[in-house]
Amino acid sequence: MDLSLAIFVQIIVAVLLIIGLMVGNAVVMVYMERKVAGFIQRRPGPYEVGPWGTLQAVCDSMKLLAKQVFLPGNVDFILYYLAPILAFLPVLLLFLPVPFGPILTPLHINEGIVLILAFAGLGVLSNLLAGWSSNNKYSLLGAGRAVAQTVAYEIPMILALLAVVLQSGSMDLAKIVGQQGQYPWQWNIALQPLAFFIYLVSLVGETNRAPFDLPEAESELTAGFHTEYSGMGFALFFLSEYANMLLVSFVCASFFLGGYKGPFLDGIWWTFIKAYLIMFFIVWIRWTFPRVRFDQLLNINWKWLLPLGLLNLWLTAVLVKFLV
Amino acid sequence: MNNTISQFFQSAGHLLAELEQSLAPVLPGQDLTALAAFAVYVLIILGGGLTAVLARNLVRAMMGLVVTFLGVAGMYLLLASPFLAFMQLLIYIGAVCVLIFFAIMLTKNTSDGEETRYPAVCNVLLAVLAALAPPVLAGPIIYKAAALIPTRTPVDSTANLGEGLLSMDLVPFELISVILLAAMAGAVFLAWPHPGGDKS
Repeated sequence: MDLSLAIFVQIIVAVLLIIGLMVGNAVVMVYMERKVAGFIQRRPGPYEVGPWGTLQAVCDSMKLLAKQVFLPGNVDFILYYLAPILAFLPVLLLFLPVPFGPILTPLHINEGIVLILAFAGLGVLSNLLAGWSSNNKYSLLGAGRAVAQTVAYEIPMILALLAVVLQSGSMDLAKIVGQQGQYPWQWNIALQPLAFFIYLVSLVGETNRAPFDLPEAESELTAGFHTEYSGMGFALFFLSEYANMLLVSFVCASFFLGGYKGPFLDGIWWTFIKAYLIMFFIVWIRWTFPRVRFDQLLNINWKWLLPLGLLNLWLTAVLVKFLV
Repeated sequence: MNNTISQFFQSAGHLLAELEQSLAPVLPGQDLTALAAFAVYVLIILGGGLTAVLARNLVRAMMGLVVTFLGVAGMYLLLASPFLAFMQLLIYIGAVCVLIFFAIMLTKNTSDGEETRYPAVCNVLLAVLAALAPPVLAGPIIYKAAALIPTRTPVDSTANLGEGLLSMDLVPFELISVILLAAMAGAVFLAWPHPGGDKS
């Protein structure tokens, strides 16, 4: 009884901290995205509110909180309100198995990566639900694209992660990090460069970010699946999108870049430095590459990433069989 | 500060233990927490299932199906097999439900469900019969043979998992592919043009 109560309290505390992390991450990312976009396009970005425009994101979130939540006509309102909640809630669980530091793992579980992949599936469902229940052709088109894209990019992503799982013989993120060394040549990226590359491409596809942001392509579909959402409905989608980005970055850092391990001193700072470098990379390519066409997007996945992922998995299996 | 928190949890633990003791004569030999969790999951499964069957709108029916799958995943967690629970979520919600949704979106479907009709009495009876078949056929076997089911080692490594799937659980593992085959055959059968101009 005492043990299960302790784990229960641990999960509650972890979820509360994760909510804080999600909100803080959204504020930091809004600022970073606008500033990086500004510098890439040779303009200063936000600079009026607060020192160097740092309070801009806080003002934006205040505005979102104060906005009206608008319900369009002829809408299935249960499903319409369910969609943003369904986008937000699973993300809270996704961070539980991530090893942030040598002792700081919210929940020790043997099937960590399976938990992340399982609850990430609910995110796709929320996009679909939002697009369908908005009763709007742009939203519906966005939702249709979201499902085709996410279902496709999930496969090379899982194949890349599976190669690392096969190599380390565990699905627990903490154990996978524990097997890697302090220096970059001891990380999994040195052993699995192809898997790292596949994962990096498919994480952009999986999080619906430019150049793969077809589900919400602004210039084609207004805002895609969340066109009709305003106020906190939109804010929940926004929060969960950035939280999903942070999550795939944490998973990437743990699987390929040694997680909390790094030169000089292991610790939580290395996890965050690595994750935010990957976040910066995602923002960087968003403002560098133009959006791909939908057939190109699916061709990259089915004709390149999937065969490469299968080849990598096969090679890993052969090497694990004969070398270990 | 620390002391008060630990005291609080101690008293909460005592309270639960007392509750368990007072209920012990009513439910002999049962863990109260597990029983409560079981009841919650049964309610979730029943609620989701009824929504899936009775909703006039196809998307709402599918959301009922999602809720049912969540409840079943909870049952697996209660049986101490988290891997199976996560696989349930990954495959049934992440793949099957999303594909069902995709199929609904590709057909003409309005949110008030104008195309649904109430089924004939004969169909309702057949449906009840189909629902009763698994518990009547498999129930006695499970009830009688519960003691024969060996305790499993937890899935703590991929080698362990692979060995289990390809040795002891080989038959159920292969039978799952038969279910997928049946689903595929059903889809082909529904899409096949029926001779004699069937109106469905």
